[in-house]
Amino acid sequence: MKPVNAMPAAFAASRPGRAQPFADVVAENLDAVYRYLVYLTGDRVAAEDLAAETFEKAYRGWRRFDPQRGAPRTWLCRIAHSVAVDWFRAEARRQRREDNYMRDAAMLEESVFGDGFSPDLDQALHRLTPAEREVVALRVLLELDGPSAARVLGISQTACSTRLSRALQRLEEEVGDVRR
Amino acid sequence: MSAGEFEGHESLIAQLRAGTLDAPDHLSRRVLALGPGKRARVPMSRRRKVFILVPVAATLAVAAAVINGAVNSGTNPKASGAAVDSRAVGHQPAQGAVGALGPTGAMGATGETGVTGATRPTGPTGSAALTGAHGPTSAYNGTQAAPLRSGVHSDKKALFGTADSLTIATDRLVHAVATLEVAVPSHRALTRATNNATEIVTQLGGYAQHVQYDASRTGPGNAFLDIRVPVGKAETAIRMLGGLGTLLSQSLTTKDLQQKSTKQTSQIGQLQRAIRIYEQALQSGTLSGSQRVDVQIRLAEAQHELAATHKAHGRTLASGRTAEIKLTLTSRNHHAVVAGPHKRGRLGRLLHNAAGFLALEAIVVLYILIVAVPIVLLGALLWWFTSGRRRRDERRLLASA
Repeated sequence: MKPVNAMPAAFAASRPGRAQPFADVVAENLDAVYRYLVYLTGDRVAAEDLAAETFEKAYRGWRRFDPQRGAPRTWLCRIAHSVAVDWFRAEARRQRREDNYMRDAAMLEESVFGDGFSPDLDQALHRLTPAEREVVALRVLLELDGPSAARVLGISQTACSTRLSRALQRLEEEVGDVRR
Repeated sequence: MSAGEFEGHESLIAQLRAGTLDAPDHLSRRVLALGPGKRARVPMSRRRKVFILVPVAATLAVAAAVINGAVNSGTNPKASGAAVDSRAVGHQPAQGAVGALGPTGAMGATGETGVTGATRPTGPTGSAALTGAHGPTSAYNGTQAAPLRSGVHSDKKALFGTADSLTIATDRLVHAVATLEVAVPSHRALTRATNNATEIVTQLGGYAQHVQYDASRTGPGNAFLDIRVPVGKAETAIRMLGGLGTLLSQSLTTKDLQQKSTKQTSQIGQLQRAIRIYEQALQSGTLSGSQRVDVQIRLAEAQHELAATHKAHGRTLASGRTAEIKLTLTSRNHHAVVAGPHKRGRLGRLLHNAAGFLALEAIVVLYILIVAVPIVLLGALLWWFTSGRRRRDERRLLASA
């Protein structure tokens, strides 16, 4: 596993305000953003598209990025969150028109959230809402700190902590249910 | 990261972190195809922006004020200042003249202001012309210069030295009301000027109907004189009274009484004729009893009306024979009006103009703030509502999807 969750050494060493080439940011954060989007959407294909869209947006706005206001990963996750919300809206409209039973069934056949996951865990993750999976991805997988995760989610730090606690609790319960 | 948040879920966390989920190679290629990108520009922080923008804005404002001050201070103060304050600027010293004041017309009108000597000040040069001699009512308002003297007892030539005197028509019956405001340098001068004014008026065949003198040891002093002089001497009186000190302002209103007088004379003639007819009718003895009573009533009315018209005509003639002059002598504004401009050099004018311009800028900024703040607040409120609604929708969407 690549150390996508850990703060890159180069970035960690960089002082606030120090400029960084965009290519370096892509190399350091692509996996993390992709993983975050997979957790959020529960759909690898969609996550790929959304990750690409996220980085396109980030590329266009790179000159406006202010390192003093947060890490690039937080900024990218914020963009990804916005892109994913748009996708969810579109998806909700689409699902009203189409029956997507087949797609959901196909998705369940293979592990979505991580290679090497037990089917129980994967299925339990599927049962969580996107909001719950999102906070798990940000705090557990991407290892963002509380304030950064709260900023990405657009909620307070306390609300973020509560949401994480409930999400983990529910995930434990879902894993138990699936095993039974 | 708070370990307490994951407490009790260590096994689950370990499982979640054990899974591998890397971006596929084609996604990496797709994203990296965007290019290496330029280095992020390091934007300025808000505090830094404020630290830079505020001094820059202040410097620009001050620079604009100084440039404005420099541009305006270089011009002739008589010409440039008239539109600002006719009273104050009306006493700016003329170039090359010592002890003489350059006149300007009221309402910002400027005119010839040349002064050739200290003992020969120029007269009023306002654009307003005296037209009252030919119309029913007219008014002249202007600031007339007078020689700067240390006291009232300057030579008599100087008193009459104000050229271009105001004229009052003498070929028609005219009622004239003049208002003069004259500054004197001190309380002692105020007393002398008050006495002199009474003396001048008496010499001219007039009188002071009302005199009010207010002065204290520390505060400003004022004397108000309500004067009546024969119309024929009014111009002379105005000139002499205006020369009692520094003339701050003067106005002259004339009202033509000729038509009124003619009408009253005509009415008197008609009434006299009517009375004669009534008297003849009564003396003829041809009237019946009731007719006689009626004629007697009419005769009494006509006689009464004739007496009233005679009185009114007398008042009109009296009004046309005398002119009212309301003279205000003051020691209040003398230093501010006369001494100030003399002490102010070009640098002083520059600073004065710059300060005025800065005040104007401040007013503009204040006005903008007053107008803009409610709009900004409204916009902020709208943004707050919109973003809150969007966030709620988003939360609902992610919780239910």
